[in-house]
Amino acid sequence: MTASWVSILAAYLHLLAVAVYVGGSVAMEVILGPAQRYVPPAQAQVLAQRSADRFLVLVWSSLALLPASGMLLFFSLSDQKLVTSGGIFSTGSGRTLLAMMALWAVLVVNGALITFVYRPRLASKASGRAGGAAVGAQLQTMQQAATWVSRLTRIDLAVALVVVLLGASLAYGNGIL
Amino acid sequence: MHTTLGYLFTVEWAVYLGGALFMELVWRPLQRHVPPAQTGVLCQSMGRRYRWVAFTCLGLIATTGIAWRAIGGPATVWQTAALAGAWIVLVILVAAMGLLVHPLSHARLRPGEDRAELRIRRLRSIRVMDVLLRVELACALIGALVAVWPHGSGPGPAI
Repeated sequence: MTASWVSILAAYLHLLAVAVYVGGSVAMEVILGPAQRYVPPAQAQVLAQRSADRFLVLVWSSLALLPASGMLLFFSLSDQKLVTSGGIFSTGSGRTLLAMMALWAVLVVNGALITFVYRPRLASKASGRAGGAAVGAQLQTMQQAATWVSRLTRIDLAVALVVVLLGASLAYGNGIL
Repeated sequence: MHTTLGYLFTVEWAVYLGGALFMELVWRPLQRHVPPAQTGVLCQSMGRRYRWVAFTCLGLIATTGIAWRAIGGPATVWQTAALAGAWIVLVILVAAMGLLVHPLSHARLRPGEDRAELRIRRLRSIRVMDVLLRVELACALIGALVAVWPHGSGPGPAI
């Protein structure tokens, strides 16, 4: 495989990862989310849970693919001295690349919070045996978790759009930082 | 200017392609877990929203693409032609699905028609819709591949 084939493959995989992350988040917010109002609440909850389960698999796949394809693209198109000779801090493209990596880390942390902290709280069931107060507290915890999942999802979408802006500045210029 | 247009073009393609992938990889398998009556209601609502998201993205893709080309964007002539071709096919597919096939899958009884005939008519349109959705996704994936193909001028790929 020549370098140009590597860069084409890397660019394509990078775009697919961006599309899955950004487009999928928009579809969840704009297409599936509002449609759930038309089904009974219990069914809507099952639907939300199952769709989130499937979507999280796609999210984690694209979060893994983004740095892998990004690095492959960077090293197949750019001067590798940028990284080895300290240019990563002194040049615009280096700083832009660093900012992209930092924002990717934010997406990973938010994704981990949603997957391992808030989603398990949403999926837990309240037991009637524990009494009304315990059920109330459980419902409040679930409501707070749902609010945080929604908030973090929107923050993630905004962060992802900034990452795409930084990526575009690298692809069509020398970075914007 | 190239960065701004490149950013907009990438985001518009990403939202369109991501929406198509979402429908195929999340919504289609999800339908198996939803009762048929509610699937119909959800399909109707989601189909309407998907149509507007798709049309908006395609409209913005065309506007951004033309503006980018006008200021000497990085795409080559064959890339521009191939992307324009993919765009035309996608517009035709979204229009066919949204304005023709989707309403047919929620059609009501015609005078003199029995329920079995209506059911066959609806199932046929759902099958056509499934095929068109996959063709649409394939076209969008090919369009994305054309866009990332290297070109003669400019600092990076078309996307």
